[in-house]
Amino acid sequence: MAEESFLADDFLRQLMSVGEVDLLVGIPSYNNASTLGQTLQSVEESLLQNFVRERAAILNVDGGSTDETLQVFEQSAEQRGASHKGLTSLRTIHRISCQYDKSPSQGWALRNIVAAADLLRARACAVISPATANVTPLWVANLLRPVHREGLDFVAPLYVRSRFQGLLARDLLYPMTRAVFGQRIRELYADEWGFSGRLASQCLEKDVWHEEPVRVRPQAWMAITAIGGGLKCGQYFLGPKGAAPAGTGPDIVEAIRQTVGNFFWCMETNQAYWLSRSNSQPVSTFGPDHELSSDGIPPSPEKIFELFRTGVTELEPILASILAPDTHAQIKAIALSDRTKFHFAMELWVKTLYEFAASYHHTVLNRDHLVQALVPLYRGKLYSFLLEHANSSGEEMEAQSEILCQEFERQKPYLVERWTAKS
Amino acid sequence: MKEVIIEGLRQAYSNLVRMFAEFLPRLLVMLVIVVVGLIVAYLLKTILRAVLHVTRLDRLSEEAGASRFLRMAALPSMTELLSRSLFWVTWSGFILIGISVLGVAGLQEQISRLFLLLPAIFVAILILFLGLVTANFLSRAALLAAVNAGYPSPKLLSWSIRFVIWALAVSMALEQVGVARQTVLAAFSIVFGAFMFGMALAFGLGGRELAREFLERNLTEKKREKHEEPQPL
Repeated sequence: MAEESFLADDFLRQLMSVGEVDLLVGIPSYNNASTLGQTLQSVEESLLQNFVRERAAILNVDGGSTDETLQVFEQSAEQRGASHKGLTSLRTIHRISCQYDKSPSQGWALRNIVAAADLLRARACAVISPATANVTPLWVANLLRPVHREGLDFVAPLYVRSRFQGLLARDLLYPMTRAVFGQRIRELYADEWGFSGRLASQCLEKDVWHEEPVRVRPQAWMAITAIGGGLKCGQYFLGPKGAAPAGTGPDIVEAIRQTVGNFFWCMETNQAYWLSRSNSQPVSTFGPDHELSSDGIPPSPEKIFELFRTGVTELEPILASILAPDTHAQIKAIALSDRTKFHFAMELWVKTLYEFAASYHHTVLNRDHLVQALVPLYRGKLYSFLLEHANSSGEEMEAQSEILCQEFERQKPYLVERWTAKS
Repeated sequence: MKEVIIEGLRQAYSNLVRMFAEFLPRLLVMLVIVVVGLIVAYLLKTILRAVLHVTRLDRLSEEAGASRFLRMAALPSMTELLSRSLFWVTWSGFILIGISVLGVAGLQEQISRLFLLLPAIFVAILILFLGLVTANFLSRAALLAAVNAGYPSPKLLSWSIRFVIWALAVSMALEQVGVARQTVLAAFSIVFGAFMFGMALAFGLGGRELAREFLERNLTEKKREKHEEPQPL
């Protein structure tokens, strides 16, 4: 088997001693000693409460933690039983751990998880991040159940978001994914998701694990592999997701490099699937398909506008090589407009993104540089959004988001035209 | 007297005929070498062009920003430039061999010198090309990073990086060819030293306040500014 070449001997021994399982929960960790215990407790409670008869395993894949993450995992195994309020499973819940010899990478962690799922012949798997502060037993069950009982192959989470949280996903990633790949999955870059053993085996066979986009953000790639393979996808409403503590998580530049770069790469590698498709279809959704809470204070946008304006001016030659002359001229014109009346039109935003995607495909310049050149323009769109929606309700914002999605779908022929044009 | 003159003329004529008789076959050999060289050079150019098309060098060159400079200098694409260079270098080599066959006194030594210089010229061109590509790539990376981080004068930073790498590449190329080695070394040291000294003075003395602000912003305020933007994911 191909996976034997990268799995450590000790890890293989552990997997062989487990045999086969129905459910596998993978927990990728890196210096998560403070939160791992709580996550493990939620996972174990979920398995005890909801999957009494199923054979299950919890797998911790560690990226070389320097804190006490590994000890926490080992100790929690010894302490289990004491904190489960009398809940008992009819089967043993196995605990396995492994460390990979690379620097921390979500892709490497996922590769170990899907290899384990393949070897253990797991039917349903879930990835749960210990960095998420408020994982509940219900979350784990809701990600596993649609795969285990409803026959889905990929289950994305749905969260309650505050109005100004996750705007990159709302203004760019979701509408563009929906228009390009034709499936309405909202959270493709979440830290928790569920998948089937069948999808795990398909992913394992792909020779892309060393590719930077998969090493950094494998979630969307896995979902798009499922979509491209004609497998069934769905999403499950999990509830509110706690905001990452200040100072953690990627900033806008890093987030765009990781997610947009990853998405463009997925477009490139799956073009045979999406080029001939139009419109989008809803996927199986359990619970409400979105919820925006009305809390959240609009951030101060002045600095964001300055960064947009400076970016458009300073990166003019770079933007000229990426964008069509007309689009570039329109962006330069709005950058000169009055800050208080600034408006980044939806049509222009969609056109801009499609031209970036096509330029990425034609490699008009280094691809990482190209994605970074999008940052100032995203800031412009963000500023426009904050200006227009400072006092909007969650419903109003959602309605606007739906119009944006439709605009992406309407302009898809333009993307196809630019994409297939001779460079 | 008359006979002496006639004898002299006859001698000169026979010398001329002998020289022509000796020279013409050499000229013919030279022409053959030049024609063969032309064919070989053309074949090499075609092969190299095909290989470079397969390896997509033009795309790499476009990506690295080198093509833009070639266009600015009204030069052809990278593939075309390299294959044409190979053609001319090969043919020039054959022409030089042909000329050396003529056996013209004094030319032999000059041609030998030129031959010895050819590899060095090749390496120098390669150094210049790599310098151009590296300078473009790094200066663009610096420009993007500075613009996205909101640093002041991102173009200045970008051009400084470009200038330093260009200066380094040009001095390395000239040293490789052996053109005024000492002068080039001294000129590079002076230019590079002056640039660094100027930067140190501007930043340390002229811009003390700016330097303090810069460090303060980077060490203390950057984290705060970063979170003025809403959480992207």
